[in-house]
Amino acid sequence: MLLTRKSASTAAAQSRLARGLSGVLAKTIDRRAFLKRSGVTLGAGAVATQLPFNMIGKAEAADAPGESGKIEVKRTVCTHCSVGCAIDAVVQNGVWVRQEPVFDSPLNLGAHCAKGASVREHGMTHDSYRLKYPVKLEGGKWKRITWDQAYEEISQKLLAIRKESGPDALFVVGSSKHNNEQSQLLCKWARLWGTNNTDHQARICHSTTVAGVAQTWGYGAMTNSYNDEQNSKCLLFLGSNAAEAHPVSMLHTLHAKEHGCKVIVADPRYTRTAAKADMYVRFRSGSDVALIFGVLYHVFKNGWEDKEYIHQRVYGMDKVKEEVMAKWTPDKVTEVIGVPEAEVLAVAKTLAENRPNFIIWAMGQTQHNNANGIVRASNILMLALGNVGRSGGGCNIYRGHDNVQGATDIGPNPDTLPGYYPVFVPGSWAHWARVWNIDLKWLQERYAPGMMAKPGMTVSRWIDGVLEKNDAIDQGPNLRAIFYWGHAPNSQTRGLEMLEAMKKLDLMVVIDPYPSASAAMFAKVRQDGAYLLPAATQFETEGSVTASNRSLQWRERVIEPLFESRTDHMIMYQLAQKLGFADQLLGKKDGKQNIRLVKGKGGMDEPSMEDTLRNDINRGCWTIGYTGQSPERLQAHMRNMHVFDVKTLRARGGKDAKTGYDLTGDYYGLPWPCYGSAAIKHPGTPNLYDTSKHVMDGGHTFRALFGVEKDGVNLLAEDGVCSKGSDITTGYPQFDHVFLKKLGWWDELTDEEKKEAEGKLWTNDLSGGIQRVVMKHGCSPFGNAKARAVVWNFPDGIPQHREPLYSPRPDLVAQYPANDDVKVLWRLPTLFKSVQQKAVADKDYEKFPLILTSGRLVEYEGGGEETRSNPWLAELMQDNFIEINPKAAADRGLRDGEYVWVSTPSGAKLKVKALVTERVAADTCFIPFHFSGWWQGEDMLPYYPDGAHPIVRGEAVNTATTYGYDRVTMMQETKTTLCQVAKA
Amino acid sequence: MARMKFLCDAERCIECNGCVTACKNENEVPWGVNRRRVVTINDGVIGAEKSISVACMHCSDAPCMAVCPVDCFYRTEDGVVLHDKDLCIGCGYCFYACPFGAPQFPQAGAFGLRGKMDKCTFCSGGPEPDRSEAEFKKYGRNRLSEGKLPACAEMCSTKALLGGDGDVIADIYRQRVTVRGKGSEVWGWGTAYGKPAGGAQPAAGSKS
Amino acid sequence: MSARTVVAVLAALGLAALAGCGERPQAEATYKQGKYQGKPDTRPWDNAPLAYGNDKWTQGNKTTWEDELKGRTLNQNENTRIGQ
Repeated sequence: MLLTRKSASTAAAQSRLARGLSGVLAKTIDRRAFLKRSGVTLGAGAVATQLPFNMIGKAEAADAPGESGKIEVKRTVCTHCSVGCAIDAVVQNGVWVRQEPVFDSPLNLGAHCAKGASVREHGMTHDSYRLKYPVKLEGGKWKRITWDQAYEEISQKLLAIRKESGPDALFVVGSSKHNNEQSQLLCKWARLWGTNNTDHQARICHSTTVAGVAQTWGYGAMTNSYNDEQNSKCLLFLGSNAAEAHPVSMLHTLHAKEHGCKVIVADPRYTRTAAKADMYVRFRSGSDVALIFGVLYHVFKNGWEDKEYIHQRVYGMDKVKEEVMAKWTPDKVTEVIGVPEAEVLAVAKTLAENRPNFIIWAMGQTQHNNANGIVRASNILMLALGNVGRSGGGCNIYRGHDNVQGATDIGPNPDTLPGYYPVFVPGSWAHWARVWNIDLKWLQERYAPGMMAKPGMTVSRWIDGVLEKNDAIDQGPNLRAIFYWGHAPNSQTRGLEMLEAMKKLDLMVVIDPYPSASAAMFAKVRQDGAYLLPAATQFETEGSVTASNRSLQWRERVIEPLFESRTDHMIMYQLAQKLGFADQLLGKKDGKQNIRLVKGKGGMDEPSMEDTLRNDINRGCWTIGYTGQSPERLQAHMRNMHVFDVKTLRARGGKDAKTGYDLTGDYYGLPWPCYGSAAIKHPGTPNLYDTSKHVMDGGHTFRALFGVEKDGVNLLAEDGVCSKGSDITTGYPQFDHVFLKKLGWWDELTDEEKKEAEGKLWTNDLSGGIQRVVMKHGCSPFGNAKARAVVWNFPDGIPQHREPLYSPRPDLVAQYPANDDVKVLWRLPTLFKSVQQKAVADKDYEKFPLILTSGRLVEYEGGGEETRSNPWLAELMQDNFIEINPKAAADRGLRDGEYVWVSTPSGAKLKVKALVTERVAADTCFIPFHFSGWWQGEDMLPYYPDGAHPIVRGEAVNTATTYGYDRVTMMQETKTTLCQVAKA
Repeated sequence: MARMKFLCDAERCIECNGCVTACKNENEVPWGVNRRRVVTINDGVIGAEKSISVACMHCSDAPCMAVCPVDCFYRTEDGVVLHDKDLCIGCGYCFYACPFGAPQFPQAGAFGLRGKMDKCTFCSGGPEPDRSEAEFKKYGRNRLSEGKLPACAEMCSTKALLGGDGDVIADIYRQRVTVRGKGSEVWGWGTAYGKPAGGAQPAAGSKS
Repeated sequence: MSARTVVAVLAALGLAALAGCGERPQAEATYKQGKYQGKPDTRPWDNAPLAYGNDKWTQGNKTTWEDELKGRTLNQNENTRIGQ
């Protein structure tokens, strides 16, 4: 046996390479290497059965595919983030044995991140940490019960609470992980119960985006798509860590970058996204408005704004310019954000010289007390540069969960019914009672008097709904019961107070595939009062899901619900039966029924997802154009992904082999708005507000939502500004039957359409005739107006910089204070200034001198219990940590890798490992938010049900985060608070 | 003739670990064994952070093969380096020899008891009947026999990790280098082994 | 025996011993693979394509299998779909 002899040159060169590498490697240690220390023991404990000496892994299927057993391939969509990567799931004998990438998908082209590549774990039954059967908390222990017993006890308790305190004593926290049909059903379910107290993850994610952006120009969603970045010349990531939060979107970003697109990243942390940037700007967390207006200052000063675009399509830019030039001079900007003028100017110049360009954001902009202003500042910047409404430019808003867009659009929101019909407008209820085929009067009587028109509480404040004094809240009872339906608790701030709220609750029901930290937190402080019901995952049901770019994709059911889990809509229906509104849930009245029952798991009835889409959603959501996406069209798209062009998302041809549906002209997933009924075959709208296209081609204008004129200034678009081929070439208001008659287009409606459309607007005409005729004439049903740079109905008409409630700079707090306190906001008293003043008076900036910010990791998602129960992901990130700058660490005597206590003004303390890195500046620290399962140093494993706990547990950063909310939407201020770090 | 290779484009790698989990998923690799890892250098250092995904490189002149005392390694016609676990004695010598740390051992206990060596198989299984249960249990999936390529390369989130026939992936990479206008100096003999000193010509037959 | 002879003999023995160590001059560094001792392995193209997949080749025909793979490799190049 010979040893390999290498030639002399190779040997010498090898050592040079080795020397080179070792010098580099010695400098820094990457996150993974840092954390792998305890990996083995942890893994050995958790999955000991998988470590035999001869390395035999467990095969799922009896035989390899292709040999025996019925094999099917089901096409589904990853359930993690809003990019919407398609997955082909190979199922053999009902067992999910493999997953294959879908190269045909125009959205992800077969690519996945760690989470998408690991979804098959959800279909594995051995070593599964899912909640397998219903459990009830009894004597401090989780006792297994039957579904029937669970339903019986829960409904009895709920009905008793309703009798004593009214329907508003219940808060239904819904989910952004429900598919569109389930989201819509849950919205209905809460209303049939009789309360507006329902919400979901969008509140704590992009609620400020939706509010701020919609108020600017009409719809509060991503204006273009991830794919459209390939057509862009510059991307400004301001508040997005796409490399970790939307990894596959980086495929489009990096492709664009290689083809000449500039990438600028502005972030307090040097993130992995920043590592791919051409330009990186490190600014102080929370000072986004100052940064954006600092850039805008240079844009105006050098005359780089698109004057014609502003004149034609924007209202109020002159007022903004006046304020920006006076208030945000370079010295003031630098004082607030900590970045020299030269860098800000460089950003402005790059944007000005590389148009069209995008501004991209996620939580970095949205989770602040003035976030409604921050997002509008971003809009204003894009409007000033003339970017909005064209391919390659605009506001690319990266949404979070896989269906947070859909849930926001049509799901359980406290202030809107599906399609953003506001609850405080009686017409919304009339419209939806018609669509849902329920008796309006019956529905009104379900509500406590005067509560139907009042937006409910938000998920970010439910704890105050429990704890606050009764006379201070704007509803009869305090909250007594809560449903955590597909939502984690550790993503909301003020964890210490949440524990107090849980002590006071009469009832908590958690409906989730995983017990979630709710179970552990509740069991820590209570002996009884909680039920955990195992819900099925989205792979165990079919339904549509809306990606961030507004495309809808249809998921096929991969496997039957595992263990004793049931689909969410089956649970909704079965609970509705117990609570007395099952017929209304299905829209069963007067011999008609919107939603048929189909056989689900075990032969039990559940509402049909296709019927829900077709008869509820498609029939009712005229405002945002969820009407054209019929199940048939969506399924045809899923079968023929290869015909869609990746840059434009358009199908140039193609016919579906199964149904004969002609795909020509459709945009992939029929991105909303897809106006009109499915019959008129609107292709969807890939880029919003694009006037270069005909409306039947995906183009349209800015929405006329704010009136015709303001203070004598025209709010509608100027003469000559309209979408391509429009018969009306000037600004026009939104369409209704009166307008149609005036124009002489009324007679183009069919007789049937006329019957329905008489007396209606484009938003509640169930025939779709108004929209059809209007679009035939090339007009947008929602009008043709200007975007508003000044939103006069918001507390801050022009975005203002306001210091975070817990700010490290008392001098700036004096100059840029938070809003005044509000007596009632979303039914609760909400403090702003007084909290900020108290923090300054208490000298919190000295006691807690470091800024604490939190954010994402690529391996985990959301509250994290689902991903931390997946061994393939859990192995990659086993400890929670705090990123701390070497100087800050040295000043405190902290070493890399050792445990530290992080304390905040909330009074809580977190035990995490210190990761000493230059990623963060000396004044900032970062903790990821995906962990839970430790409470101030104590492992909460004993409080989880047997066999249903995450493999990796850690401190939840939100246990220690502080009070702070957005003035308009009650978004929590998670991105900026204060902390102190000390050795453990 | 196909010659299977991996190439990870460090300009694109965002350390998403998609390749790592794709491998874990497809081959049901147990906890503690990482056939593929992502290595990041200059983590957090502004302007210098780079990541690259590393697994077995299926070397033409494999050191693991050279040093194995029981000769359990072999190379297929496509250049994939595989080994027979039934023969492996778990001595760990291949682990010392490999410059990439590809051989993995399931670890139990503080003293690192070794079992059979496991490593990336380029998703082409091992010396058992193709696609049989025995092959899956011991070596993982055999995608090559299904006309597919390694799961890690096919699922990479930014198409940084390329895997397949060397000619084709070199072509893909070359296309990227052309578009970027830089990067040709990142790979190759000259970068790895250096240009000869004093202006001397490289040895005949060596690639530049 | 004289001391010199002893030394000579020992030296000769030493040389012989050294020769037995397997020392080889540097120039002759050719690597010979040890013979693989394990089980035989089937070649990928000797299998039939999967019934449910899209990948097709003629069983036993290496060229068709290689072509199949080369085509599939192009999925890793987004430019083929983006049509730059």
